[in-house]
Amino acid sequence: MSSVATSEDATLGGMPDSPMAMPRGRRRTEAVMLVFAVALVAFAYANVGFGLKGSLPSGMAEYMIAFVVLLAGAHLAVRRLAPWADPLLLPLAATLDGLGIVMTYRLQEVGRDGNPGSMSVPLSSSATLVQIVYTAIGLGCFVAVLALVREPRVLQRYTYIFGLVGIVLLALPALLPAGISEVQGAKIQIRLGGFTIQPEEFAKLALGVSFASYLVTKRDVLSLAGRRVLGIDLPRARDLGPVIIVWAVSLLLLVFESDIGTSALFMGLFVAMLYIATQRTSWLLIGFVLFVAGAYSASKLFAHVGERFQIWLHPFAGQNPFNNAFQLVQGIYGMASGGILGKGLGGGQPYLTPLVQSDFVVTAFGEELGMTGLMAILLLYGLIVQRGLATSLSVKDPFSKILAGGLAFMLALQIFVIVGGVTRLIPLTGITTPFLSQGGSSLVASWILIALLMRLSDTARKPPPQPIQDEGMTQVVNLS
Amino acid sequence: MNRALRRISIAALVMFVLLLANVNYLQAFEAGSLTDKPGNSRAFAAQFQYQRGEITTADGKVIAESKNVGGVYKYQRVYPLGQEYAPATGYDALYSASGVESAENSYLTGNSSNLAVRNVIDMITNKPRKGATVQLTLDSNAQNAAWSALQSSGKAGAVVALNPQTGAILAVASYPSYDPNQLAVLDGNQLNANDKKLLTDPNQPLLNRATDATFPPGSTFKIVTSSAAFTQGNDNPSTVVDAPTSLQLPQTSTRLINNNGEQCGTMGNGKATIITAFTESCNTAFANIGMQLGSATLKSMAEKYGMNDPNLKIPSSVVQSNFPLEPAQSFTAMSAIGQKDDTVTPLQEAMFSATIANNGTLMKPYLVQQVQAADLSIVDSASPAALSQPVSPAVASEIKTMMLSVVSSPDGTAAAFKNAIPGVQIAGKTGTAQNGVNNSGLNDAVFTCFAANGNRSMAVGVIIQGGGYGAAAAAPIAVAVLKAYLENG
Repeated sequence: MSSVATSEDATLGGMPDSPMAMPRGRRRTEAVMLVFAVALVAFAYANVGFGLKGSLPSGMAEYMIAFVVLLAGAHLAVRRLAPWADPLLLPLAATLDGLGIVMTYRLQEVGRDGNPGSMSVPLSSSATLVQIVYTAIGLGCFVAVLALVREPRVLQRYTYIFGLVGIVLLALPALLPAGISEVQGAKIQIRLGGFTIQPEEFAKLALGVSFASYLVTKRDVLSLAGRRVLGIDLPRARDLGPVIIVWAVSLLLLVFESDIGTSALFMGLFVAMLYIATQRTSWLLIGFVLFVAGAYSASKLFAHVGERFQIWLHPFAGQNPFNNAFQLVQGIYGMASGGILGKGLGGGQPYLTPLVQSDFVVTAFGEELGMTGLMAILLLYGLIVQRGLATSLSVKDPFSKILAGGLAFMLALQIFVIVGGVTRLIPLTGITTPFLSQGGSSLVASWILIALLMRLSDTARKPPPQPIQDEGMTQVVNLS
Repeated sequence: MNRALRRISIAALVMFVLLLANVNYLQAFEAGSLTDKPGNSRAFAAQFQYQRGEITTADGKVIAESKNVGGVYKYQRVYPLGQEYAPATGYDALYSASGVESAENSYLTGNSSNLAVRNVIDMITNKPRKGATVQLTLDSNAQNAAWSALQSSGKAGAVVALNPQTGAILAVASYPSYDPNQLAVLDGNQLNANDKKLLTDPNQPLLNRATDATFPPGSTFKIVTSSAAFTQGNDNPSTVVDAPTSLQLPQTSTRLINNNGEQCGTMGNGKATIITAFTESCNTAFANIGMQLGSATLKSMAEKYGMNDPNLKIPSSVVQSNFPLEPAQSFTAMSAIGQKDDTVTPLQEAMFSATIANNGTLMKPYLVQQVQAADLSIVDSASPAALSQPVSPAVASEIKTMMLSVVSSPDGTAAAFKNAIPGVQIAGKTGTAQNGVNNSGLNDAVFTCFAANGNRSMAVGVIIQGGGYGAAAAAPIAVAVLKAYLENG
C-alpha cells in the first residue's frame, strides 16, 4: 500500500494493535455467585437444625455435598456449552432450588423426632433426599437442553411437533381415569407407582416454543394483513387459525381439568408472545378482556371456581375460616405471625396450613423468614425475570426474542398468580411455586426453563464472529 | 419488537411491585389485626412461646409462674398455692383468663406499650423475651390465715382484708375455691373436661365470693345508718332513741323484733342510747333511725361508702353492692338494718370498716402494688387514691367508739374477742343476715372490723353463707386474719 494515508485509513489503522473490547463470558462471576448461593443454602439448612433441635441437622454434610457436586457439574457444563450465557441465572435458580430443599427438610421434620406439630399430609422421611434427586434430574435436563439445543433456531424446526406434544401432555390427565390423575378436584397429574408427574409443567414449555416459532414465521402477516374492525386490527383467520386452535384447545382442556391457574398462565404466555410478535396493543386488550370474561363465566358455571371467588372476597366471614377458606386464612395467619423478621427456620408453625409443602410454600417462607425473607425471595424471582427480559431485548433474531420474552413473562405471571393467590391479592388458584414447591415435575420444568433462557442469553451475548483480517486493507502475500 | 418487550417488562415490574406491596401490607401493616381473627391458632400459641411474667405477693411469695414444658405451647402456667390465691390470680387457660391474669395480661405477656422499647432492645440483643412481674398487695400471712380459717370452717364464704390508709388489698380469699392449675393444662381435651367439672360443681368453686358475689350485710349496715344519723342530724352515740322490744312497721302487719325478742339496753323504758343499740345490735332502734332519715339519705350515705358503683376495678371488675331507693317506710326500716334489698360484697364489708379506720376517708381498693419489667425496672406502681369521704373525722371517731364497744363491752355482740389479740383493740360490727325467699335460708354470718398494731392497721370483711351468727361464724375468721397480719408486723 502507498504511503499516502487517508483519514479513513488512520482510524482503521489502530485496530489490529488494540483489539475491540471483547464481551466477557463472565463464567467466573457465575462461579462466585454459585459459591454464595451454596453458602446461603447451607446456612439456611443448618438454621433449620438449630431452630428445631439446637444442633446441626444429621445428614446435612451429605446433602450439601450432593448439592455442591450437582451445581459444580452444571457450572462446568455451562462453561463448555454456553460460555456466554448470563452469569446470574444459574446462581439465582440454584438459590431458590436450595431453599426449596431446605423447606422440604424443615417440613419433613415436622412431628418427627420430638419436633412440634403435625402435617395434614405428612412428608415421607426421605422427602429431602427425593427433592435432591429431583434437583439432580432437573440439572440433568438443564445440561441436556444446553447440549441438544446448541442454537435456539434448532427449536424452530419443530413448530408443529412441539404444539402437538404440548396438547397431548395437557390432555393426558383428562383422558386418564380419575384414580391416577385427580388431585383436590383438579385432574392435573399422572400417578405412576410412587411417582407423580404433572404434564402441564412440561406442556407450558412445549407450547411456548411452538407459539414462538409459529408467530415468528407469521408475524408479518399477523400484523399487516387483515381487516380493521371497530378500531382493532384483526389478522386473517387462516394466519391466526392454528394459534387460536392451540390456545382454545388448551383452555378447554384446562376447564375440563378444573385448573384455572394454569389456564391463566397459558393465556398470559400466549398474549405476551402475540404482543411481542405483532406489537399490537389491541392484543393485550383482547387477551385481558377474554380472560376476565372467561374467568367470570367460569366462576358462574363451575361451583369449584365460584367458591374460589367467595373465599377470596370473604375469607374471614362466618364459618369460612374453619371450612373452605381454612387453607387460605391459615397461610395468611402464618405470614402475619412471621411479621417483619419471621420466626426463624424451624421456629414457626407452617404445618398448621394444609398442604403447605406445595401451593402454600411461600407462606411457610413468609412465616419463618418474615416479610424480609419473602421479599428477598420475590426479588430473586424478579431478577430471573429481569435477566430473561434483558436477554429478550438484546438478542437479535425474532424467534429468540419472542421465546425469551414470553418465557420470562410467563415466569413472572406464575409468581404473580401463586404468590398473589396465597397472599389474597387475587383469587387463589393452585399452581406450583417454581423451584420452591415440593415435587419433581415443577422443579425439572423450571430447570428446563432456565436452560432455555441461558441458551438464549448465550446467543444474545456471544460476540459476532471476528473477521480474521481487516478486510479494509490490501493484503500483501509473500509467496517466496 | 423491543417497544413491546419494554411494555411487557413494565407489566412484569408492576406485578412484582404489587406482590411486594401486598406482602408488606400483610406482614407489617395488617399482621396485628390478623392475630384477633377467628381460628388463628398461631397467634394463640404465640403467647405460650415465651415466659409469662410472675405474679407475687407483696412479701415476694411467687403465686403464679411459667415453667418451660417444651412442645407447641412452650410454657405452662403453674400456681404453687392454687386454691388459696385463685380469687386474686385468676387463671390463664388456653382460651380464656380471669383475675389478675386477665386484667394485667399485657404486662404479664410483655405486650404492653410501656414495655415496647425494652422488647426492641431484647430483640436486638437476642435476649429471650419475658413478661413483666406483677407484684400484688397481698400479705402472704394474712392470706394464709384467711384461707385456712375459711377452709376449716367448711362453709362457703369469703374474706377481704384492706390496708385502711391506702386501700391495698391484704387478703382476698373465697371458699370453696378451685385449683387454677387445672385450667392451665395445655391439652385442650383435658382442659375441657376440667372446666366442665368445675362449671357443673354445685359448690360453685369458680365463683369468687370475695368480689363477684353479694350477700345481705345484715346489722353491719348499721355503720352506714349511724354515719347518716351522725352526719345528718345532731345525733351522737349518747343520743337516746326509741328502741322498743318490738316495732310495728308502718302500713304492714310485720313486727320487727330484736334478736331473740330481747330488750335493748338496761333503761327499761323502750329507749336506749345509740351506742348501746349499736353494741347490742338492736334492730328496732336503727329501723326507727332509718325511717326518720328516709331512704334517700341512707342511699346517699351508702353510695359514699362505695355501694351502687358498677365501675369499681381492683383491677378486675368488682360486682356492684346494692342499696336501691326504697318506696315504702317499712322497706326503709328493713334496709336501715341491712335487710330487704341491701346486698354487699365481702370487699364492701371491708370498705365499711376501712373508712372508719381511716378517719372517714375511703381509699380506692387495689390489688396490684407494682409491675416490674424483666430488666427489674419498675414500669408501673400503685398510687393510693381516695374514693370518697363518707363521714367527717369526728363522726368516724364516734363510730369507731361504738365499734370498739361491740368488742370491748361485756354486752357487745362480739365481746368474746375482747382479748383475742393481746395488746390490740379490735373495733367491729357483727351481722346475722336473714336470707332466701321469706327468710327461708340459713342466716349469713357477717363481720366487719379493723384494728391497728404499731404502724400496721387492717380492716377485714367476712361473710360466711349460712354461717349463723356473725359473732360465731364470721368474727373468728376475721380475728384470725387480723392476728396473722398485726402480730407479724
